[in-house]
Amino acid sequence: MFVVATLVFFMLRIVPGDPIAAMLADAGGQEEVAALRAKLGLDQPLVVQYFKWLGNVLQGDFGNSIYGSRQPVSTILLEALPRTMSLAFMGFVIALVIGIPAGIISAMRRNTPTDTAVSLFAFLGLSMPDFWLAILLIIVFAANLQWLPAIGYVPMSDGLWLWFKHLILPSIAVGTAFSAIIARMIRSSLLETLRADYMRTAASKGLSPRALMMDHALPNAMIPVITVIGIAFALLISGAVVVENVFAIKGLGRVLIEGILNRDYPVVQGAVLVVSAFFVFSNMLVDLLYGMIDPRIRLS
Amino acid sequence: MEQSTTLEKPVSAHRRRENRLLATLAKDKKAQFGLIVLGLFIFGAIFAPWLAPNDPNEMTLDMMVNISGTHPLGTDDLGRDLLSRILYGTRISLLIGFSTVIIALVVGVSLGITAGYFGGRLDFIIMRYIDLQWAFPNFIIAVYLVAVFGTGLFNIIAAISLAFIDDFARVARSMTLSIREEQYIDAARTLGFSDFRILFGHILPNTMPPIIVQATVSVSYAILGEASLSFLGLGVSADTPTWGLILADGRGFISQAWWLGVFPGLAIMLVVLSINFIGDWLRDALDVRQAM
Amino acid sequence: MSKEDDKKKLIEIEWKDAHDFDKRDPLFGLSRDALSGASLSRRATLRLLAAGGVLTIANLVPGSSKLASAQSSGGTLTAGWSGVGEIVTLDPAQINQVLQFQVASNIFSGLMHIDYNLVAQGDLAESWEVSADGLIYTFKLREGVTFHNGDTFNADDVVFTFERSSDSAQSIHSKAIANVASLEKLNDLEVRFTLNKPQASFLPKALERASGRAMTIVSRGALESMGPAQYGLTPVGTGAFKVTEHQLGQGVVLERFEDYYDSERPKLDKVVIKPIDGPEPLAAALQAGDIQYIGGNPLPAQLVDRFVKDPEITVDIKPAPGFQSVWLNPWREVMSVSDFNKPLEELKKEKGFMVRLALAKALDRELFIKQALFGNGVAAYGTINPAMGFFYDENIGNESEQAFDPEGAKALMEAAGYPGGSGFPTLDLITTPSQKRYGLVIANIYKQVLGISVNVVTKEFTVQIEEFNKMDFDMRLGGSGGDYDPDDGLMDWMITDSKFNGPTRDKADKPFGFFSEVEADVAISEQSVTADPDERKAMVQKANLITSNKVACAFLYHPVDIQVYDKSVNYPDESRIPGLHDFDRVTLNS
Repeated sequence: MFVVATLVFFMLRIVPGDPIAAMLADAGGQEEVAALRAKLGLDQPLVVQYFKWLGNVLQGDFGNSIYGSRQPVSTILLEALPRTMSLAFMGFVIALVIGIPAGIISAMRRNTPTDTAVSLFAFLGLSMPDFWLAILLIIVFAANLQWLPAIGYVPMSDGLWLWFKHLILPSIAVGTAFSAIIARMIRSSLLETLRADYMRTAASKGLSPRALMMDHALPNAMIPVITVIGIAFALLISGAVVVENVFAIKGLGRVLIEGILNRDYPVVQGAVLVVSAFFVFSNMLVDLLYGMIDPRIRLS
Repeated sequence: MEQSTTLEKPVSAHRRRENRLLATLAKDKKAQFGLIVLGLFIFGAIFAPWLAPNDPNEMTLDMMVNISGTHPLGTDDLGRDLLSRILYGTRISLLIGFSTVIIALVVGVSLGITAGYFGGRLDFIIMRYIDLQWAFPNFIIAVYLVAVFGTGLFNIIAAISLAFIDDFARVARSMTLSIREEQYIDAARTLGFSDFRILFGHILPNTMPPIIVQATVSVSYAILGEASLSFLGLGVSADTPTWGLILADGRGFISQAWWLGVFPGLAIMLVVLSINFIGDWLRDALDVRQAM
Repeated sequence: MSKEDDKKKLIEIEWKDAHDFDKRDPLFGLSRDALSGASLSRRATLRLLAAGGVLTIANLVPGSSKLASAQSSGGTLTAGWSGVGEIVTLDPAQINQVLQFQVASNIFSGLMHIDYNLVAQGDLAESWEVSADGLIYTFKLREGVTFHNGDTFNADDVVFTFERSSDSAQSIHSKAIANVASLEKLNDLEVRFTLNKPQASFLPKALERASGRAMTIVSRGALESMGPAQYGLTPVGTGAFKVTEHQLGQGVVLERFEDYYDSERPKLDKVVIKPIDGPEPLAAALQAGDIQYIGGNPLPAQLVDRFVKDPEITVDIKPAPGFQSVWLNPWREVMSVSDFNKPLEELKKEKGFMVRLALAKALDRELFIKQALFGNGVAAYGTINPAMGFFYDENIGNESEQAFDPEGAKALMEAAGYPGGSGFPTLDLITTPSQKRYGLVIANIYKQVLGISVNVVTKEFTVQIEEFNKMDFDMRLGGSGGDYDPDDGLMDWMITDSKFNGPTRDKADKPFGFFSEVEADVAISEQSVTADPDERKAMVQKANLITSNKVACAFLYHPVDIQVYDKSVNYPDESRIPGLHDFDRVTLNS
């Protein structure tokens, strides 16, 4: 995490075209620029600036946005966080709700038209750009059928249903690719487990196929699925960056892209840090979960 | 002679693989579909100047005209021919898709096999970097690099290639680690072959199957990545037709001109789908168990 | 039919009467009684309109206001703010976008506020008196007005606002009140402004609450307790609505202010303003019923037809008070002019000026309006817009050097050393992301007419305005909105020390911003203090023509104001001020 922060800080300072001058765009003549430079501590050596920044970050202070109302970056990020979290969570739920049954069904009805349909769906889900899916969803469900709101985010405090309603389309757009991955993984890992010796033993004991599936095969088949939760997070975050822009949800992704387009470096630094912190944290969580489900891993 | 038999091993394996590829292709309808569709797109990209009915940037007052004889896929909001724009967009998409993966493959695999073969401190340094990059989603890295270095064709290619390096490096390293312990490498070493010759003559060919599969998957991600960057306004330029840009620009007109929202998206999806089909076939045929 | 004839006759009489004022009297020939007071008489109003050049027959046609159909008080109106990701600030002192003061006009009061005829009416000023020489304005303030935080409004707040706005470190509008020599508090409810020179636009511009912003009354208490940054988000005013929530990017929630000075207003309980970037989500949101009203940046032109066809949606189009131009940086070598004061004929011999004139002449505005705006716009050759009526020069399209002339433009490029565009560098044209296609159309026109390449670069408004202020750009597409008075165009844009004329440029390097011309400066300063409408009109048009002929920028188009809302919304004509969205009289049909 520390290395990430350092990298982010220095990378942003090798940007061609003096970012410091860009930051001071609204200051007047050269004396004012110099004065502001001094005021913001930008006249000090990079190393000094770095340690100051790091010290502030450790206290939760990311500095202020350099445009518009110059809000503290921490405020912007704190406001954005629940939006992206909601979107990622719902996208995750949708991916599981579609992906797991689809995977199980196609494994149980292997080589039937159902299986083919599921696998085709999975391929389409993987191949469809998420922003295109988002646009199609808006056209169909918001503009034409008018079932769901087209854009925006409503906090949970304004009502659970409102919150949910606004998140359905974006989370489908974000979750579809992941649901395809889950379906494919569950299918192949189920087929593998069903072939394993202990399953044959269980089957010979006279267990029903359903019991076999639910009690024995599925829990084992879930292990590789948990390993992809790390990937899920990468997918959901990347998806959120693009999809938030289509649905005008000011989550981390939109904050990041706007920060980049506006060259608002404190905001970009903050957003990248928070995103990577989440990524690192979720990878740790996956390791933990993995260990809980499969004790063998803990031993090794 | 001991020497000849060991050295022949990779070669014969190679030939066997080729036969297997063709044999499985005959049975794999999806892969056939993928190869044909991808072939058609490559053909379209190469011959775009002859196939396109118009200059892709020529504006007319025939704005948002529906599909017709003169405009097989209709026109966009500035009266430009959509088919021509998509054909030219294919060039950019495929160029970016393949060139980024080639660059990432060369750099990533070199890093990976070097780290894996030599081990020790070199391995430690390379892998710390790779692990660091691994900590970020690829797309975020690409977005970030475009932010730092700016937009433009070259920068987009550089950004996406860099973002993929860690994937190749990891695969190459883990393959190298297992191959390094094989008997025939030991043999080559005892025979006094140079590290360079061992690395590129013996280890590299044997790391190829999983890397080829990784490359196929990466091409599809690169194409999607470029489309997403263009869509976000971080693309090649404001008026070079690329699929992502055509979609982004058409976004405001979709309800009056559905073709603007459907065809460029369809093009992306078909190409990515084809590549995924091909990747799947290669995975089975080369018998690669890809760790996700 | 006879009834119609009667109506016509009445209109004719009123029209004549309105234009029949004594030109020698500095105050539009109206008696001081008619001009001062609690509100303006119809006769006075019409004359003012005519004098201000904004009287149209539509003002005279009676009975155009809608009948109050089954409407009721209360309810929540959700409005989408078009073409913007976030409403960056609502602090009047910092507002630099029309879409911001559209919101602020619902939160704040000024001393004056223009009405639907573009005539200034008392807002917090209950009545006022103007001295015979037009230099002293004495205002009686409304009594019993409270701020949203409970503080009582009095003359001290007027003085505080004046002092804050005069300080260029705290406010970007100090120039708007630079003509005020002093402001005195006479007592708690009376203030007196003394002007340096008479100013025609004092009431409708300097004291206007929406577009004026300098004398939009801010809360001392709230500024002190929350600080300027927070005040920019959740400001406290005395307006009809109070801000209860504002998250950047999510929007602003306004709630009915119970203690508003007019107990009849506002009618709505709540107004939610959501920034929505992109035409498709905007249209979808309106058609799906997520929003019932569209405000913010001008509606994307391609949506007009779509909304007109929708029986659930009301569309109302009026000329909009504004202009858009292609700005040409004179500090870029290829189009450089170091001294605009030279006579036009001499300027025409300079290569840099030839290129500028060629770029202006090559603009096929008709094609642009058709292709980029789907026909919704009027060709522009100056800052004075058709919504200003009286001051607008119908003939400028023929008189101006900028009139579309492809052959002339080509000849100029050749004379400048770029025959057929060869050898001409590729210039960057900066647009906002939502105006990118406009930029592409312009680039295409330049390619076709002059054979030159223009590279369209999109930048967010906040970024490009800073580059524009620094004079760090090649070409930029941009302009103004909310220009109700000639001062809004000329004073704000065309005079040498105007607030947009390169305010943050390196002054040692660049003596002026994008334009500086002595003759224009004189005419602009004088028109501003000339009360006689015809004299003023002559000066306005003179200045306008100079800026056009000497290519202050390549003027492109005047937008139209397109108001769009759901049939469930009752938006009375009384509130229909082009460029503004005042919700205080709006109701929802039950």
